Amino acid sequence: MVRFPAGPRRTAVAAAALLSLTGLAACSDGGGSAAVPGGGAAKGAADELVAAAPVAASLPAGSTMEKIKKRGQLIVGGSLDAPLLSQQNPGTRKVEGLDADFGRLLAKYIIGKPEVKIVNSASETREALLANGTVDVVLQTYSITPERAKKVAFAGPYFSSGLVIATKKDKQGIAKPADLNGKTVIAGANTPAIAAVKKAAPQAKIITFGSDPECTQALKQGRGDAYVQDQAVLLATAKQDPEVRIQGGPFTADPYGIGLKHGDAQMKQFVNDWLKTIQASGLWAKTWKNSIGTVVQGDAPQPPAIGSAPGSE
Amino acid sequence: MDVITRHLPEFGAGLLQTVELSLLALAGALVAGVVVAALRAAPVAVLRGAGMAYVEILQNIPLLVWLVLAVFGLPEIGVTAGLFTTAVVVIALYQGAYVAEAVRSGINAVPVGQGEAARALGLTFTQSLRLVILPQALRTVVQPLGNLAIMTIMNTALAAAVGLVELTAAANRVNLAEADPIWIFVTAGLCYMALSALTGLVSGVLERRLVILR
Repeated sequence: MVRFPAGPRRTAVAAAALLSLTGLAACSDGGGSAAVPGGGAAKGAADELVAAAPVAASLPAGSTMEKIKKRGQLIVGGSLDAPLLSQQNPGTRKVEGLDADFGRLLAKYIIGKPEVKIVNSASETREALLANGTVDVVLQTYSITPERAKKVAFAGPYFSSGLVIATKKDKQGIAKPADLNGKTVIAGANTPAIAAVKKAAPQAKIITFGSDPECTQALKQGRGDAYVQDQAVLLATAKQDPEVRIQGGPFTADPYGIGLKHGDAQMKQFVNDWLKTIQASGLWAKTWKNSIGTVVQGDAPQPPAIGSAPGSE
Repeated sequence: MDVITRHLPEFGAGLLQTVELSLLALAGALVAGVVVAALRAAPVAVLRGAGMAYVEILQNIPLLVWLVLAVFGLPEIGVTAGLFTTAVVVIALYQGAYVAEAVRSGINAVPVGQGEAARALGLTFTQSLRLVILPQALRTVVQPLGNLAIMTIMNTALAAAVGLVELTAAANRVNLAEADPIWIFVTAGLCYMALSALTGLVSGVLERRLVILR
């Protein structure tokens, strides 16, 4: 999946629409300094992760990493509204989720402290933000594709997700992608679901909405027969909403990479080494348990092999 | 550049959707606008109040909020229409408020003597409005209406947020596959510019043909 703003969920989407507008405003003023864990309050599992995280032994002189360390802060392009992945907790103002945790761990590896500043990015702006140096890395469910690899460098993949099909709970006859032919399929604007549905079910009619709550509402209001979305997002949705049911497992493999400035081979190597380190030490699995693992039963999956996705070599 | 040529069908379909949306919304906006402007000029206080309430309510809530309310809110109370229909109606009603204000300024520009003469001839309010005032009023505001037509075209881009694949959404989808935002959105921008240039040209010609020299 690409970027997916998910605002507050309300039965009356009328209210949700207005709320998400105010939510956006709240995000933009909180985006500046929000990601650093607070001092005394709410020492959670994420802090234990950070405490157990490794710090790089040395940084190559003149490298991007050294600049980041000098600055004392890792600037991450990310979301503040993606449940389970990177969502700001309105109570603690802390950003929680898989991507947010990885950002803090990477910051600790480079700087020694989990100092992260999240710059709210979008799927339209990520390449530009990396190219002009506004952000150091992008950790935002950034699917690795060969086309994008021409504009940015991808470390990873650090997580492998995939698209799943959701329907209303009483819907029959949609279990696999081919069943979507001739049906109206809802997808998030700017998500790979659009291309994937076109490929798997060429006769499907696709309609898109801007955010996950809108897509879910459209599904429940019968504007489409099915909703195709990233597994991580739909798991959170289906858990909260008993009317929505996930049909079958993922039908695509969607490797998420850490976006870096195009051509920065040194940093890519550095981040890949860090990923290998935390995968080997079991920290990766703990990070998974801390976010996705709170809604998925069982042990953490096998992390994807570094460099395995086309575009991340 | 070949990014564009490879995706011409998508751009074409998006452009067509934008044009359809604009033309239908504009037609609706003109009808709504003239009716509301007539209400605001009516001799009955209740009608004037209704016209003013319409303009204030529609203009003071952003179009995107109206669109989201109509698309997701109306089905909650049992009113479900297609996405295209919903978008056309909402944009038409919204732009109608602006058209109403433009037409009202046209009505105000018609010399008072015209209305007095119409009444002196024994025309009813509706007759004087239809036969004397509005024809002159509309001919005065051709250029502002042209601007509103351009505004309508630009505002159709908001329909992308509620699931319509018009030009902006089409460009977004192409960009998703190609990750080449500069060329793709510049192309979309050029399409919008061409549409508004065409609209400006047409309204210019109409203005010169219809202008009333006083």
